[in-house]
Order: sequence, then structure tokens, then C-alpha cells
Amino acid sequence: MAYYLTVSTSIAIVLISVMGTHLLTGMNGMFSLGQAAFMGLGAYTASILVVTFGVPFPIAVVASILVTLVVAYFVGFATLRIRQDFFALALFGFGQAMIGLFTELVQLTGGAHGFTNIPRITTPTLAFVSLAVVIFIVWSIRRSHFGRDSLAIRGNDMAAKSSGIDIFKHRMVIFMISSAFAAYAGVLLAFYNRYIDSNSFGWMISVTWIIIVFFGGRDSLIGTLLGGVILLVLPEVLRFASEWRITLYCITILFIINVMPKGLFGSIKLPKFVKQLFTKKQQEAE
Amino acid sequence: MEFRLVLQQIINGLSLGAIYSLIAVGFAMIFNILKFSNFAHGGVLGFSAYAGFLAATKLGLPLFPVILVGMLTGAVTAIIIEFIAFRWIRKRNGQLVYFFVTSITMLMLLQQILIIYFGKAFDYYPITLIKTKVVHLGELTIATNYILTLIATVLAFSLLTWVLKKTKVGIAIRAASNDLVATGLMGINADFIVLATFAVSGMLGGLSGVLYGLSASLTPQIGQIVVKGFIASVLGGLGSLTGVAIAAFALGLIEVFLIATIGSGLSPVVIFFIMVVFLLVRPQGVAGQSFVDKA
Repeated sequence: MAYYLTVSTSIAIVLISVMGTHLLTGMNGMFSLGQAAFMGLGAYTASILVVTFGVPFPIAVVASILVTLVVAYFVGFATLRIRQDFFALALFGFGQAMIGLFTELVQLTGGAHGFTNIPRITTPTLAFVSLAVVIFIVWSIRRSHFGRDSLAIRGNDMAAKSSGIDIFKHRMVIFMISSAFAAYAGVLLAFYNRYIDSNSFGWMISVTWIIIVFFGGRDSLIGTLLGGVILLVLPEVLRFASEWRITLYCITILFIINVMPKGLFGSIKLPKFVKQLFTKKQQEAE
Repeated sequence: MEFRLVLQQIINGLSLGAIYSLIAVGFAMIFNILKFSNFAHGGVLGFSAYAGFLAATKLGLPLFPVILVGMLTGAVTAIIIEFIAFRWIRKRNGQLVYFFVTSITMLMLLQQILIIYFGKAFDYYPITLIKTKVVHLGELTIATNYILTLIATVLAFSLLTWVLKKTKVGIAIRAASNDLVATGLMGINADFIVLATFAVSGMLGGLSGVLYGLSASLTPQIGQIVVKGFIASVLGGLGSLTGVAIAAFALGLIEVFLIATIGSGLSPVVIFFIMVVFLLVRPQGVAGQSFVDKA
């Protein structure tokens, strides 16, 4: 039982950052290959504050999210105006740079040995409640005017701009929210696993999140969640075939994207008005 | 630093930059035609490097056939990737994001296949492949594989320029880089041009894979070096192959000097700042024309 609880708590924590990716990549079509670096930033900031400086946990959480928001603002300021391909690559460079910093600032971060002796503060309840709150925030954004602006920008940014949407500002807000989610997930992860190292925040992690969003269906919040649960549980179930696991994983994803471009659960919608929003959008596209 | 050491570092940097430029140009060719970042290029590179490794160890082939095997494998792998990952999406006029996802998935898949067959351990090309290890040039001592890398790169780029400027396929590839749909409307077989581009880019990827394998060790993760090619293509401006190649050489030089001065751990930080400054000051790259997305 304890095993299942551990696995499901870890999955809940990862799903928080996947929700950030759902906002950023699914709804806004921005590919951040450095999203996991924000997770690392949150994890390291909170761990250093709590373990090295003895700051209470709640203050450390707020501080690490604030630090991430500031960093995200500056990164976004430099990269959000450029083409989306370049944005992805620039964020990739950012991820590499952050991992370089995590590894090199040995005094602060423990370097390649990782940061140890973190107390276990994250409880399964905290993780699941946080996930629920994050899902609620994303759900509210989706149904808000702001969320519809996202879809307009994703569909055609020039048309959105000429309809009076401030694309740069919009993208900045989304980027900062999703970075904050990643950072918060990082804090929870650090205080659950009690150990972090720079290798767990590489660009392949960001890619995994993007793949989850597309696997489940980027137009569907519930699809992303189900897709995330499936893809994150699959490695545990397929433990007997660890070498072939990722191979199978990749083939599944290629198959889904080629055959069902809307994702596995792309057609599942929870609330009716979101459904109306999408059917309307499709008619316009035709 | 002593002058001799500086010169030595410049040669190291140029040789590293040559490998980066081969990667970056292969990557940029696909970008120009299909307008997406082809991460699977790293898989092509890894497959070719290991194919060359097998040819050298199992078949005992000498250096030049090994390079040829690598290039051929690169071309074949790239074409297979196009069939599996990109063709269906292209036929469906799928959005760019799908190309992005499938290309990254292909990179993971190819890397995983290499891990299954070769394990995670390091492999090395047989030491007998290059007989003379170093060349003495006055006071300088230059590793032979650096010279080989530079010569191979110059040859490959000369050949590429000839193909792109003089042959029918090359001209069609350049036309397709301008506008794939219009090229198809002009009676050119667009599918064939896309395949040809993947084959050429695969050959460049294969060459870079074998050359990188010769100067370093082989791991299944070797494909991730492709990201250096991406950075170079951003700096160079994806539109111009010459700009991309020049930026890649510059990146190699910068990286070698950064590693010599501040160490390999912090050099990504500096490179990221260079990239950001570049994107802010000159988003179209060193030489590239700026891409304007049409509504």
C-alpha cells in the first residue's frame, strides 16, 4: 500500500508541472525545453533556504516561487518576442545554463553529488490538494476570457494581434504562471524525495511533459490528466522490461500522433461551454 | 596564455566547430524546407556513429570506407525517419507542433535502440583506424583526427555547394526552401525533394557522427550533441547555410576557450547569455534573412 501511495504522490507532483506545460504548450503552442530548469530552480531555492538557512517551509515555498517568477520574467523578456522555434531553442539554452549553475555552485547546491538532508515535509495530502488547486486554476483560466485569448493566439497570432490582444503581455503572463507551477512542483518533489541533483532537471524532462500533453490531447484538460497518469504509471507497470520500456513508450507516442492527432482523449471534454468553444473554433477553421 | 597554446586552442576550436557546422547545416537544411527543428537529426548522428563503429570493429574496414558507411547509414536513417515520423503529418497538413513532438520522440527512440544494443558503456573506435596520431608543424603538435575533421568538412561543404548550385536536385531543394507548396505546383515532385533533402542532411549528420566518434568516445547519448548544432543555427540565422556554418565554427572556438578559462560546467551559462544577447540584438542571425510569419 505504501508503494502505491509513494508512486501516486510522485505522479501527482509531476502532474502539477504538466499542468503548467498544458497552459504553455497545449493552450498557447509555446514549446519550453527549459521548463524542468524552473522546477530545479524552485527545488534548489527552497531546499537551500530551509536546510542551509533554516527558513520555515511556507516562507521558503513563497520565496522560491518569487525567485522563479523574477527569473521567468527576465528570460521571457528576452525570448518571448522571437519566433517560436527560437523560443524553444533559447529555453533549451536556458535549461543547460541552469543545470551548469546547479552543478558548478558546489558551495550552495552540493554540485554533482546532489543536495541531501532535505526533511520530508511534503505529505501525500499536500501533494494531492496542491494538484487539485492547480487543476482548478488551469480550469478557470481555460474558461476565462484570458484563456480564449490563448487559443486565438495559438490559432493565428497575427489575427489575434489585430483583434487587439497584447501577445507579448499575454505570453509573459502564461509563461510566468507555468514556471511558477513547475517551481512549486519542484519544491514538493525536493521535500518528498529528500534529495535533488542537477541531472533530474534536464531538457528530456521538459520533453516528457510536452509529450504527455500531446499524448492525452492538448485541447482537453481531462485528456492531459489521463494521458499523464497513463504515461507516468506505464514505467512502473512495465518495470519487468525496463530496456524496452522507453522504446514502447516512443512507438506508442508516434502511433498516437500519426493516427490520432488530437491525442488519446482529445475528444473528451468535461464542461459543456468549453465544448461549445471548441466546436465553434473548428467551424471557423473550416 | 602563451601564444603557442592559443594557436593550439584555435585549432582545437576549429575542429570542434567543423563538427558543429556539419551538424548545424544538416539541421538547417531540414528547417528550411519543412520549417521545424528536427531533433531526430541527433538520432541520425548516433546511428551513423555506431554504424561506423561496427564497420571498423566487426568488418575491420579502413578509415575511408568507415566514413562512407557512416554517411550511407545517415542517409538511410534520415529517410526512414521521414517515412515514419513526418510524412503522414505533412500529408495531413498537420501543424508544426506535431513535427516537433514526433522529431523529439524519434530522437528518444533511436537513442533507446542504441542503448538496447550497445549498453550504456563507452565504446571507442579502434585505435588503429588512424595510424599517425599527431602531426608536428613547427612547434605545434596537432592531432591527426583534427586535421581529418577539417579536411572532411571542407570537402563536404564544397560538394554540398556544388550539389545545391549546379545539379537539378540541388536547385529544386533551394526552390523548396523558399516555398515547398509553390515548388510542388511548378511540377516538381515535392515528396522526392523532401526525401532528397533528408538524404543529404542525413549524409552530413552521418559524417559528423563518425568524425565526432573518432575524436571522442561513443555513447548512445552521442546524439544529444546535436543541440550544439541548434545553438549554432540560431546564432547563424536559420535561413542562410553559410551563416549557420560560420556561426558553428565561432561556437566551437568560443566553447574551447570557455572550457580552457572557466571550465566545462559554466560554459553553457555564458553560451546562453551570448545566445540571448544575439537574439535580442540580431534575431535574424549573423547572415540570415529574418523569417516573417505570414498570417
